[in-house]
Amino acid sequence: MAKKKTNLSRRGFLKRSAVLGIGAAMGPLILRNGFAASRDRVTIYHSSVADSIHPYNHSSSPIYGNWQHVIEPLIELDYAKKDYVGVLAESWQFQGNKWTFKLRKGVKFHNGTPLTSKDVAFSVEKMRDAKGGSLQAPNFKDVVEVQTPDDLTVVFVTKQPLAIFLDRLENRFILSKIAGDKFGDKLYDNPIGTGPYKFVSYQRGGNMVFTRNDEYWGGKAAIKEVIFRKVTEDAARMAALESGQADFINNVPVHEVARLEKHPRVRIDRVEGLRMFFLAFNMAHKPWDNKLVRQAANYSVDAPAIVKNIFDGIGYPCNGPVGSNVIGADPKAKRYPYDPKRAKDLLAKAGFPNGCDIQLYYSAGRYPKDREVCQVVAAQMVKSGFRVELISQEWALFWGKQGVNGGGLPFYYIGRGSLTDADTLYDQYFRTGTTKRTNYSNPELDKIIEEQQRTPDQKKRVPLLQKAGKMIMDEATFIPLYNLADIYGAAKNLVWKKRPDEKILGWEMKIK
Amino acid sequence: MRSLRYLKIWVGGAILLILFVCGVAAPLLAPRDPQAQTLEDRLRPPRWSESGSPAYLLGTDNLGRDMLSRIIYGSRISLMVGAATVIFAGLLGCTLGAAAGYFGRTIDEIVSKISEIFLAFPFLLIAIAIMAFLGQGVGNLIMALMLSRWVQYCRVVRGEVLSIRERDFVTAAKALGGKDWYVLFRHVVPNTLASVTVIATFGMAIVIITEASLSFLGLGVPVHIPTWGSMLSEGRSYINRAPWLTIFPGLAIFITVFGINLLGDGLRDIFDPKLRRQR
Repeated sequence: MAKKKTNLSRRGFLKRSAVLGIGAAMGPLILRNGFAASRDRVTIYHSSVADSIHPYNHSSSPIYGNWQHVIEPLIELDYAKKDYVGVLAESWQFQGNKWTFKLRKGVKFHNGTPLTSKDVAFSVEKMRDAKGGSLQAPNFKDVVEVQTPDDLTVVFVTKQPLAIFLDRLENRFILSKIAGDKFGDKLYDNPIGTGPYKFVSYQRGGNMVFTRNDEYWGGKAAIKEVIFRKVTEDAARMAALESGQADFINNVPVHEVARLEKHPRVRIDRVEGLRMFFLAFNMAHKPWDNKLVRQAANYSVDAPAIVKNIFDGIGYPCNGPVGSNVIGADPKAKRYPYDPKRAKDLLAKAGFPNGCDIQLYYSAGRYPKDREVCQVVAAQMVKSGFRVELISQEWALFWGKQGVNGGGLPFYYIGRGSLTDADTLYDQYFRTGTTKRTNYSNPELDKIIEEQQRTPDQKKRVPLLQKAGKMIMDEATFIPLYNLADIYGAAKNLVWKKRPDEKILGWEMKIK
Repeated sequence: MRSLRYLKIWVGGAILLILFVCGVAAPLLAPRDPQAQTLEDRLRPPRWSESGSPAYLLGTDNLGRDMLSRIIYGSRISLMVGAATVIFAGLLGCTLGAAAGYFGRTIDEIVSKISEIFLAFPFLLIAIAIMAFLGQGVGNLIMALMLSRWVQYCRVVRGEVLSIRERDFVTAAKALGGKDWYVLFRHVVPNTLASVTVIATFGMAIVIITEASLSFLGLGVPVHIPTWGSMLSEGRSYINRAPWLTIFPGLAIFITVFGINLLGDGLRDIFDPKLRRQR
């Protein structure tokens, strides 16, 4: 066999060795200074990334954040202003049972075609297509018709005046109709939107990759490539951030914060989250049909103690039915104080002098420290005479037709994400017939909820929400617990805009 | 050689005995209620470390529960599940295996095919599937483990019976007019017991590990019952801050399985006909 000739000279070899040696010596230094791996790319390890390439096949805040890179909504909530601002819509008007939107001029899809009202109508049709896999159809349940009088005007006609329609329209993203017609049933494999990033690839349960859209109407993003990777194990995400594989991670467990803060590469950012945690009763089940029992349960759970001991104090116990930052919160509202003795008395009055047996359902692993929280709740409730059996179910079973949404679970631990307006919670959980999650029915409360939904003036609507909130507290329809801090870990030189809604957006990031 | 063999049995037996005493006398031995939460005392390190508290010998867990008491109570589940599974799986497997080996033909065909189907799956996978289907609970756990363990007994007993049934004393028993079932259970099955005992001891070790694995995955017994597997699972997210949450249950599993394996090893050495001849 002929001897393979190398063309590496002695000098060349020395040069390369020197470069390698310096590189190896510098490597740890660079890491110590907290640099992200590259200025052009951000790698995000997240516990929740799209489970499917169908952009409407979910209704979860972090996944809305994934898709918003590619496809955009008409409007979005500005958390600083606490009001809606236009994205693809330039202005809007609410009159009678009509919402009229004027679209932004000069917006182009990634395939070069201009944005028109037809695209909006097309996308709404796809979102309403529950049989086609969309989980976002209920948001349009009150919409009768979508009209497109001209290229830049869209009119939503609703059954009755619907003042809270903007809340329903948030996170409803617009796809290109031309691309849709071209790709037919392969549409969802080729998502074409107007967003600051273009879709590159998606792997089931794996990576989602976006690359910058240089012609974006809102100006070019700083980061060229954004990679999302789904990693559900907390320890794996932290290890990736510490070693430099990931530049950004979510859900850092509270008990690891102190350790990570000392790490040379890592910065910890906390944001008060919009996910509100609570224990819900289903009132079609005994003994929760009895208001006294529900009040007793409220007196027997000590949410501030849970926040203090389980979440190391990084959390915000609810005073009243919603967190203090939510539209419709009442600063005068108070939670039921922790008072096991009073709970015991109420329970006896309700006909359970010897206590009562209950089951508490949860889905282990879905929320931070859920298993520990439920064990503490069980131990607290025992002191007032509730004998609690804990039952953990798979999320699909827990949330599905036999679980929460079919009215099958009598008592459960749950978190409602992106809760910005109290109406969302009240309508979904406590209005007759919207869902079966609590099976609560109170015509008086229904009337107030309906009235505030018809009231466009926020100044008049908030007192109505507060009135509804007071009624909900008096009736003890659930046990409000707390909002948690969303805890993120980032490479030290990564700058981002903190958001309370669990979305991670590449164009709001920069490498210093 | 011989003394070593008995040493294995003595050490293994002693470990198992200690475990048995722990399980039976748990309420007397445990210093505290394994469920009692003292949130102010959460994550206390073991007594001998710097900030340890004399009240908690092995420290406390993330909800302020006494680790020592939980480990003592945890031995109950491990032992109970291990023993019950071995007994039930043994009964089922031996009966089917003996019937298949002795009667042959159709019965053998059916039993062998079913056991091959079970053998085709990794048995932890079967256990996971059954638990996911039945839901949490001690009874369900034993059921799932039994369904995934009986095949071992069945195969071995069938093989043994196949050879024993051709032996002269069996023919003699038949010639004296013994009915099939009588011959099978009076003369054939007792001769398989040596092998069964060995499989049973090793099987128990495997079952205890499987129980821990299932509890670790959240598919075992309900959360309010302390088990070593679920303690490991709950403790693993604290491995940086409180390593004792995983070290002690892990050690408990290790020592138990080590003891049972020693015992099984010793028993095998004694029962093994090849080794016996060398004596």
